[in-house]
Amino acid sequence: MLNIFTRIVPLALILLANATTHAQDDYKLGPDSMVQPNVPQGTVTKHSWTSTKVFPGTVRDTWIYVPSQYNGKTPAAVMIFQDGAAYVNTKQSFRVPTVFDNLIHKGEMPVTIGIFLNPGTIPATKAGGKPRRNRSFEYDTLSGQYARFLLEEILPDVGKQYRLTNDPALRAIGGISSGGICAWTVAWERPDHFSRVLSHVGSFTNIRGGHVYPALIRKTEAKPIRVFLQEGSNDLDNLHGNWPLANRQMAAALKFSHYDYRFAMGTGGHNGRHGGAILPDSLRWLWRGWNEPTAGGSKKN
Amino acid sequence: MIRIASLAALCLLMTLPAAVAQDMPLSQVLVPGEHWQLVGSGYRFTEGPAVDRDGNVFFTDIPNNRIHRIDANTGKVTVFAEQTARTNGLMFGSDGRLYGCRSGDNQVVAYDSDANHTVIASDIACNDLVVASDLRLFVTDPAGRRVWTIDAKRNKRVVACGISPNGIILWPGEGTLVVTERNQPHLWTYRIEPDGSLSHREQYYQPLRLLPGQARPGSDGMTVDTNGRLYVTTSAGVQMFDPTGRMGGVISKPHRGSLANVVFGGPKRNIMYVTAGDRVFQRKTRVQGAVHFLKPPTTPR
Repeated sequence: MLNIFTRIVPLALILLANATTHAQDDYKLGPDSMVQPNVPQGTVTKHSWTSTKVFPGTVRDTWIYVPSQYNGKTPAAVMIFQDGAAYVNTKQSFRVPTVFDNLIHKGEMPVTIGIFLNPGTIPATKAGGKPRRNRSFEYDTLSGQYARFLLEEILPDVGKQYRLTNDPALRAIGGISSGGICAWTVAWERPDHFSRVLSHVGSFTNIRGGHVYPALIRKTEAKPIRVFLQEGSNDLDNLHGNWPLANRQMAAALKFSHYDYRFAMGTGGHNGRHGGAILPDSLRWLWRGWNEPTAGGSKKN
Repeated sequence: MIRIASLAALCLLMTLPAAVAQDMPLSQVLVPGEHWQLVGSGYRFTEGPAVDRDGNVFFTDIPNNRIHRIDANTGKVTVFAEQTARTNGLMFGSDGRLYGCRSGDNQVVAYDSDANHTVIASDIACNDLVVASDLRLFVTDPAGRRVWTIDAKRNKRVVACGISPNGIILWPGEGTLVVTERNQPHLWTYRIEPDGSLSHREQYYQPLRLLPGQARPGSDGMTVDTNGRLYVTTSAGVQMFDPTGRMGGVISKPHRGSLANVVFGGPKRNIMYVTAGDRVFQRKTRVQGAVHFLKPPTTPR
């Protein structure tokens, strides 16, 4: 019993936005992360998804946010978050539904349907058998498989219920930790579908070879991707790599190859406090010019 | 402390379910100052290391048609069986018998404590096998490019094909089966269905470490520890993966020759044994091997 706690506690302390507060993580949420009077609120519905094609056998929780401004006629922009439970929660650091409400209301981002996806698990059929946790396989693997999952399973399914844009300039993707590198990988593999990436404490380290991205970015013709990287100087340093150094390498490579990028280096650790506090500004930057004809995506970054 | 831990654990479950995995560096496995020690030499090709309830380790010398026994307490190596028809993969069952792949006569057999064997199944070009706690077997057939299962009533059938399987192992808890292919830079995982069929195949363990200039990892035999780590012998050494499929490190080879298979033995099952060409080596570790024979069989064979 104690063993379980000694394992879980450090993880919990590292990850939780609200459990404890270290000085270097003392980031405060601003008004755009709070429910504001006279700002219409969108709706969030919870679903589950059983993959039959790309990650067969996996089950996962999903949530869909629909802004109140969505009218069913104009195709909505799309933003997909990995580790969706952390982003859709409106009491913790990110509070994406609330931030979306406020930014959409002010016209600082388009009318956007938010899709929040948890990683998959393959439950064991045998009593006592452990489920196969698919998070690292889905998020850390350098391949187009996760992008295919979004394009062939998730987006068509959500698209049955809502009118979604096919314009890569109006499709964004984000995530934290391995979800951050996952978001980058999706756009890197399919820039014809996703052009805006938001990474929080992204794992551009050697979990499954992701440390090679800075080198790839420097020696590959630049892709039409706009990327916001948030990182903290007290982030992880473990067997997979050093997160602050890895994110600095990413930022330097993006600069070298003339990407439209922003790098926000804070002082926090491996959690969402800093990323949550600056989320409204990050989204404003990521979506800037969304309503200008030449802005964003494959036309111009 | 427990109260804080409970709270933190509860919060963790509420926020990022299945989101994080414990880091498992090699330092959790290796003992400082402990290195490989030679157990025996002068064999022709050693394979199939298997541990019994007392921690004694059995291995085969395939071309010499012998199975040897390493005493858990004295380390003394004796001959257990002769004229073994090129017996290859070995594993103990919950009935106390030593199951083996007699590759020379295409039979899966069970050796009793006096080394007399009973045929369990015939006409399988078997290479390696794993025995579940209910005495269901999974057997690799590289030449036939298929995996067989044999139930406790000795009915055999093919449950996977289209790969060239080699090593085979079950997770602790037996929910997931893992299969190696020597030439592929990944290991396959399958879910085991109640009837013994296999589903939801995935290249879960990847990428494997490759030697410079080589495209094939040479992955062969595997074993698992009680924390769910998986160990696979390869050309680069013994590669260790965590339960989420992330490679955690490569344990150096004991000699320049090849490695075929690995198991944990000794009274505490904390000694790693590798079969390595004409020799067998051991080294002390900080982990304990997992076995599936500690539960009594549900259906006596």
